[in-house]
Amino acid sequence: MKPPPFEYEAPTTIQEVVALLQQHDGEAKILAGGQSLMPLLNMRFARPTALIDLGRMTDLDYIREENGAIAIGAMTTKRSVERSDLVKSRQPLLHASTTWIAHPQIRNRGTVGGSMAQADPAAEYPAVAVALDAEFVIAGPDGQRSVAASDFFITYLTTALKENEVLTEIRVPVLPERTGWSIQEVARRHGDFAMVGAVAILGLAGGSCESARVVLFGVGATPQRATSVEQALIGQAASEALFATAAEKAAEGLEDTISDVHASAEYRRHLAQVLTRRALAEAAERA
Amino acid sequence: MAVKIPNSIDELPTSSPRFIGHRVKRVEDTGLVTGRTEFIDNVSMTGMLHCAILRSPIAHAKIEKIDVSAALDLPGVVAVVTGEDAAKWSHPAASSPDGWGTYCLPADKVRFVGEPVAAVAATSRYIAEDALELIEIEYEPLDVVSDPVAAMEDGSPLVIEERGSNVMLQRVFNWGDTDAAFAAADHVFSEKFRWNRLGANPIETYGCISEWDPTELGITVRGAFQSPSHMALGRAMTFGLPSNKVRMIAHPHGGSFGGKGGVRGTDVSLLLSRKTGGRPIKWIEDRMEYLAAGGSQAWDRRYEFSIAVTNDGIVTGLKVKLVDDIGANGEGFGAISAAKPLAAFTGPYTIGAAQYDLSLVATNKAPASPYRGMGPPPHNFALEQMMDIAARSLGIDTAEFRRRNFIPKDAFPYIIPSGNEYDSGDYEAVLDKVLALSEYEKLREEQKLAREQGRLVGIGVASAIEPGVFDWNAYAVVGVQGTGVPEGATVSIDILGKVMVRVGFALEGQGQYTLVTQLVADYFGLEMEDVSVTMLDTASAPPAFGPGGSRLGVAITGAVLGACDRIRVKMCKVVAGLMQTEPENIQLMDGVFGIPGVSEAQMPMAQVAGTMLGASHLLPPDVDPRPEATHVWTAAGRTPVDEEGRTKSYLTAAHAVHIVLLEIDPDTGMVEIQKYVLVDDCGTRLNPATVEGQTQGSVAQGIGAALLEEYVYDEDGQLLTSTYMDYLLPTIHDVPALVMGEVVTPSPFSPLGAKGCGEGAIHTTPAAVMCAINDALVPLGTRANEVPAAPNRLWKLIHTARENTSSD
Amino acid sequence: MATMKTVRMKVNGVTHESEVEPRTTLVDFLRGPLALTGTHVGCEHGVCGACTILVDGRTARSCLMLAVQADGAEITTVEGLATPEGLHPIQQAFIEEHGLQCGFCTPGFLMSLVELLSENPDPSDAEIKDVLGGQICRCTGYQSILKSVHSAIAKLRTAGVAAQPPLA
Ligand SMILES: Cc1cc2nc3c(=O)[nH]c(=O)nc-3n(C[C@H](O)[C@H](O)[C@H](O)COP(=O)(O)OP(=O)(O)OC[C@H]3O[C@@H](n4cnc5c(N)ncnc54)[C@H](O)[C@@H]3O)c2cc1C
Ligand code: FES
Ligand code: FES
Repeated sequence: MKPPPFEYEAPTTIQEVVALLQQHDGEAKILAGGQSLMPLLNMRFARPTALIDLGRMTDLDYIREENGAIAIGAMTTKRSVERSDLVKSRQPLLHASTTWIAHPQIRNRGTVGGSMAQADPAAEYPAVAVALDAEFVIAGPDGQRSVAASDFFITYLTTALKENEVLTEIRVPVLPERTGWSIQEVARRHGDFAMVGAVAILGLAGGSCESARVVLFGVGATPQRATSVEQALIGQAASEALFATAAEKAAEGLEDTISDVHASAEYRRHLAQVLTRRALAEAAERA
Repeated sequence: MAVKIPNSIDELPTSSPRFIGHRVKRVEDTGLVTGRTEFIDNVSMTGMLHCAILRSPIAHAKIEKIDVSAALDLPGVVAVVTGEDAAKWSHPAASSPDGWGTYCLPADKVRFVGEPVAAVAATSRYIAEDALELIEIEYEPLDVVSDPVAAMEDGSPLVIEERGSNVMLQRVFNWGDTDAAFAAADHVFSEKFRWNRLGANPIETYGCISEWDPTELGITVRGAFQSPSHMALGRAMTFGLPSNKVRMIAHPHGGSFGGKGGVRGTDVSLLLSRKTGGRPIKWIEDRMEYLAAGGSQAWDRRYEFSIAVTNDGIVTGLKVKLVDDIGANGEGFGAISAAKPLAAFTGPYTIGAAQYDLSLVATNKAPASPYRGMGPPPHNFALEQMMDIAARSLGIDTAEFRRRNFIPKDAFPYIIPSGNEYDSGDYEAVLDKVLALSEYEKLREEQKLAREQGRLVGIGVASAIEPGVFDWNAYAVVGVQGTGVPEGATVSIDILGKVMVRVGFALEGQGQYTLVTQLVADYFGLEMEDVSVTMLDTASAPPAFGPGGSRLGVAITGAVLGACDRIRVKMCKVVAGLMQTEPENIQLMDGVFGIPGVSEAQMPMAQVAGTMLGASHLLPPDVDPRPEATHVWTAAGRTPVDEEGRTKSYLTAAHAVHIVLLEIDPDTGMVEIQKYVLVDDCGTRLNPATVEGQTQGSVAQGIGAALLEEYVYDEDGQLLTSTYMDYLLPTIHDVPALVMGEVVTPSPFSPLGAKGCGEGAIHTTPAAVMCAINDALVPLGTRANEVPAAPNRLWKLIHTARENTSSD
Repeated sequence: MATMKTVRMKVNGVTHESEVEPRTTLVDFLRGPLALTGTHVGCEHGVCGACTILVDGRTARSCLMLAVQADGAEITTVEGLATPEGLHPIQQAFIEEHGLQCGFCTPGFLMSLVELLSENPDPSDAEIKDVLGGQICRCTGYQSILKSVHSAIAKLRTAGVAAQPPLA
């Protein structure tokens, strides 16, 4: 289990990164925290001609509040997110989801940008990004562009990032008033990727659901919005019973549900309902 | 004069033992916590090359062509070997049942995913792995058989054509009149069980550095050997060398649990050494190699169990049918783990008649290997489920049901139907203690309340025997020869009275060097610091097997105490000569030789040693002047098998009862263990801290077995759990805090009355957890008969049961 | 072969500079050219934690880092814990409470605990488990490890010292 040979670059500016990506013509890979890429290299499942290490890009390591959103540099580690008071107070869902990811030793190095770019269907961050309508800031040969979370995750391990582009920032809107949130997941062991997870964000006004966002992960190729659940909630009085009936729709519209050694598609669809119900109940409590 | 080995701590020559029976600090630990202990991958040798092995991506295929030329052209590559070299320089694996062995690199066809087909020696592991990518192999895929039941059918693809069938062994053992017991029974209960493949997974994989001596025609291998002598014999057979030309140097290793494996890689690296003119070749198995084809996989079983029971809850007969999927061949000794259940076939119970219908079947999967427990854990799991099924059906509490069937304490030594003899025990005392510790009645009350709330709370009570101190005769029914497993130690005292003990096994984790130190220190009245332990290689060690089959603690105690006794006898002679009396008048006590009661006639051991080595003029003429002795211990009274496979195999029989309280989340199928209480009896506890550690570690492995661990293959024989992201080892979150208690019934047969306890809880834990799960499922009228009880399986059971009730 | 790179790092207080192939993992660099073989390799894919070390005071899997990534970093391995005067209190605690059997996993556990206890000298069981959840031990069943951690906490408190050796 030793990596294949590759060249190594450690640029310090975005311009250099993009130039290097172009120079390697789609054969290079960006290295962020390495917590997903390094196992693949050790197993020789990835064979880039070069690694472009963002580790020296210290200016991509930040968390700050800007225009109603929390802007997070792509190279910010999960450890920093987990410990950020700003994140804890202004976007507690992001904080909570971080603690579900792997273990402290992995979170010390794994980055926010890396998790988004990796786009593992069972990962927490992509689901949270979709649930919160995060925005992805991308740099490329033609300058900077930004992509909505709903357009960023394309399919299994595939994002809107082009070969010569780099993700530089993720902008996560702060949690609005009177809005509750929850992240629920079932994994075989603590810290494992989820078999299924559910994120719920519920805006309540006078006891009734004003806004609802439910996103499932670990079920399909990308985080999936459970729109039928959301629709069943809007305008209704929040109650356990409502959440139960709404959650029954969680498996509706799920496409190509994953089936693997840990969970059959049938089980995953069932978990989607259970976790949606639990997430809604908890979100309502917090709202 | 016969060597005297004390059967109890009281018989040691000390007025009060300071170390034996106490929780002493381990002598192994300083090197380990500082990272200084020399594991095999820490070693480098001059001229050493690194080996990487190319493995088959296909489960069953003919090898049409292998082209290694591009690999050989890569700078840094020194040699490549293939099946051609193996056929020229070696023989098929000797570890398989007769005729089922294959070459370490097959020339004709591959039989499982991960099977080695070629190997490279290069200046670094990185380059060796680069070279593997340059080897071109043409395969012609053959039909795959991955299901052992299908493999038994006529017309199935054959794993080894020459055998004409995939059935390695099929035999029905009858012990007592089982049919009569079933005919006379008031009730017969039958159930099928499935135990999926799992395995040892020590955190250090296997590794070795192999050297072929081209001039002497001999080999030297350094490595992480669980049993160096056994590896040495195997290599001698594989390479057609005289066994005295094979030298194995064992290194401390990071666990084994029976599954260190490494045989093929060792042989492949030896071929490379031969091809490179004798350069040292290092092969460190990586984790993916281990998972796919190391000593990683064990116990892939399909069971049918039946028990005959009387109205008052006495089990009178047991029938077991087992189809054991051994994988591509028996080279990993997997075949023998179906034989070990004979040593405790009927568990701790008085069941008088039993039948074992056993089939060992080859499939296109990795060869099955040993794993801690060596076969009985799945058997115990199934037997304990049967006990519960019967108890529930008769309306008897599951703990009480076991009590009724326990072998009574005055019945020992007790011979079970399958022939083994249990040395001693007090099973009711163990049960009483665990019931009290767990507040069993209260647990049942809590469960009642929980059930009223619709919660799936279960209590498992499981009881099992741990056969200890294995003997080869236990495996005779699957073709292993031999009776007795010698273990030797040399105790050597220097001129200053300091002691060196030389043994034939390396550190593996169970703390045997500490045990040796405790024994010698107490025997001669020394401090632990005055004793050191060294490992000898197979060229210089006394006969030794090393750890395995819960034997080493007992066996090494016998060897060390035997050697100490031999020295004592010599020293008594010396002292008697000096004091002008007869040796019989001299006694050793607390490190001093002398005539009891005569205060001026006393001589500390160090002074005796000093005299023997430095004052020859004082010695009696006929005395051997070396304060040194070797003793080779083996269990007495072991017998060859009879025509029904019966034998006195394992010397000791430890016993345990575990009680587990758990809850299943019916919506997710996830299990939460809320309470885990166990009481065991493994005779005299030589180092209680070590026994405790073995038990705790074994419970964790048992929980892994019951809930997490599983090798999954698809129909094409592809392994789907090839990394630690999918093969799930228990973490600190998965193992509950344990409440532990003990009962001590010393063995009447063993040194100091200790019983084998290294395998420990894995004999009982999977059974206990599964009993609890099935207890939780009772209100739903469903059962979990498959291990591991993964959440998707449990959810499916619960879901189906609920659908059935709602549609009723 | 890919272009060699020069790396310079301080390991257990000693500065090393060498040429490496970019693909060399940090653990292979430490164990090979630097001969610091106390850091072990159990899986090479980030799960077992045997290779855990401190990089600039924070735990990291050295199997999931390249040596070139550690250029300029300060590294602590298990060899950096004991001093000529004696063992680190966490090491002592593991010996006293039987927190190890084969000991192959132990260096990784120790390094994870050094980070935890230097940041949080009095962690709850949940906090300890959160950290140790990333370290696999196949031998002990974790009970004695948990006990060792509690003993280490007490030792550090009594000695009034920080768990982390100061970075040089
Ligand atoms: C044992 C273990 C358990 C884990 N458990 C979980 C879990 O439960 N949940 C979870 O979500 N994750 C888990 N992970 C994965 C972990 O969170 C990774 O850190 C994460 O997926 C990738 O982040 P990284 O910074 O390490 O990225 P890297 O591994 O460096 O990169 C990942 C991919 O993203 C690309 N990339 C990285 N940064 C950028 C960028 N800025 N622009 C463009 N492309 C980029 C890389 O080229 C690569 O293809 C686990 C990992 C391990 C080893
Ligand atoms: S070897 Fe690095 S985590 Fe296992
Ligand atoms: S002590 Fe052996 S793996 Fe932990």
